[in-house]
Amino acid sequence: MVSAALPVPLIQLLQVLTVALGAPGITGVIAKVEARLQGRRGPRIAQPYYDLAKLFRKEALAPAGASWFFLAAPLIAVTAYLTIPLLIPVLTSYGLPLGYMGDILGGGFLLSLASFVIATAALETGSPYAQLGSSRAKTFSAITEPVVLFVVFTVALLTGTDLPYALAATVRLSAGQIIRPAHLLAAAALFMVILSETGRIPVETHTGTLEFGMIEHARSFEHSGPYFALLTWGSELKQLILYTILANVFLAPWGLASSRDLGAVALAVAALLAKAAAIGCVVAVLDNSFAKLRLFKITEFAAGAFLLAVLGVFTLYLGGG
Amino acid sequence: MDPRQAPGVYAGAANVIAAVMLLIEFGMLRQALARDQVRLYAAQSALISVLAVVIAADRNLPDLYALAALSAGLKVVAVPLVLRRLLARTGGDEEEPLGAGEEPLGVAGSHTLSPASAVLAGIVLAAFGFFSFGALGLRGPDPTPAPDTALAIAGAMVLVAFGLMIVRRDVASQAIGFFSLENAISLAALVVAAGLPLILATAFLFDLLVAVVVFAMLIRAHHSRAESLSTADLTRLRG
Repeated sequence: MVSAALPVPLIQLLQVLTVALGAPGITGVIAKVEARLQGRRGPRIAQPYYDLAKLFRKEALAPAGASWFFLAAPLIAVTAYLTIPLLIPVLTSYGLPLGYMGDILGGGFLLSLASFVIATAALETGSPYAQLGSSRAKTFSAITEPVVLFVVFTVALLTGTDLPYALAATVRLSAGQIIRPAHLLAAAALFMVILSETGRIPVETHTGTLEFGMIEHARSFEHSGPYFALLTWGSELKQLILYTILANVFLAPWGLASSRDLGAVALAVAALLAKAAAIGCVVAVLDNSFAKLRLFKITEFAAGAFLLAVLGVFTLYLGGG
Repeated sequence: MDPRQAPGVYAGAANVIAAVMLLIEFGMLRQALARDQVRLYAAQSALISVLAVVIAADRNLPDLYALAALSAGLKVVAVPLVLRRLLARTGGDEEEPLGAGEEPLGVAGSHTLSPASAVLAGIVLAAFGFFSFGALGLRGPDPTPAPDTALAIAGAMVLVAFGLMIVRRDVASQAIGFFSLENAISLAALVVAAGLPLILATAFLFDLLVAVVVFAMLIRAHHSRAESLSTADLTRLRG
């Protein structure tokens, strides 16, 4: 075991780098697993990296009449996504200095900020499909937003704070903390929100090319070259960030580094990627076993998530949750 | 109790099973096909047997194992089988082939509320049941106190099952709502009075059998008079 202690700022930077560099790989793993489940060989796992590299080398065009905001939006979105790993437990079980500059709501605000600027950029283009996508994305996030709030309430009631580090520490405390209904219900509600936010079945077909069924993916239609690469990378980042929150805060906050050892931190990087890949496999299985919901049925899916989150808070108020 | 204090593994497991049973009740509320409702009922009944086994293991009550087996045999196998055959005979089951000239009498579309509104109304009912039962502060006589969250969830389930019977216009869903009401009451009984003598618990189970027979007769009588499973035909009186 290497026992060299890493400086804290380096660990903080590693949190961001792990998410930034690992995110396309997780997308690649999901695509591969999904293809194998369908009996195809599928693209190689590194394919998303090649796609990004290709897009970064291409020429960028903007529609006539679009303002500077159209080109600034992908940069703002990626910046917001890269800030979130500073706030959540990615690699360490102890809070890093910048980890306390925002709580779960702060992370949620950053996610909504990114989605807001992308939607606004889509409005700039005047393209009907990009506008359709962003309008749908905003409509459905208005329904999933309350679910996230209720999940945050559950966390706040469980831990007395709304810091993600505190919940992870509470979950690690005992088996009784995992099996309590409030925790399981909140985690299930969060998983449903993640499915909806990352554009997966049953809300959206991930690989579809039919514009009428698109929600998240239609928003970036008019972007090209490096800007499109940033948007694609951004949605991969968002996916890994949400998986990290689910795994390291709710479901399995084990394998995090508890010291500044190089070995422990390296192990935490591997554990995080393995956990995210495992969640990705579950998502791929779901993708293959269900059909996409009709657009107007998505509200029912969101109502189901809302039900889980509300019941979680109810059980807590009775003390035994 | 301080919410930060976890309730312990046994109480946690009981509460989780109760919560999942309540979720299945909500599933029945929004499920459109009677066949799927029967399936959900079987799953809910299986869970209550699991809960009986958990309580039996925790409190060392061998009687409860027998009750769990009996209840599983009756509610997971027998009652759903009877219901499914009944639905097949009346054409309420969408999977069964129908004879020539027969109209499918599916119960889809018997919602009086849209599924989303029904779920929201169910949440309100469940909240009322939760907090009213929680406020009662009922405790079992056992040395280990009953997990009161599970009891409150049972109260919420009773109300949601009532809601299911109210918002549906077909006799099959109403019968299933009634049977799941019985599940909710069994849940409350298990949580509060786990040490009930086996003979009494079995007697309650046979009450359910009586209800099944009565409902089966009602469904068949209604079907032979109105040629449908919908209770909408009952609103018009004929002399």
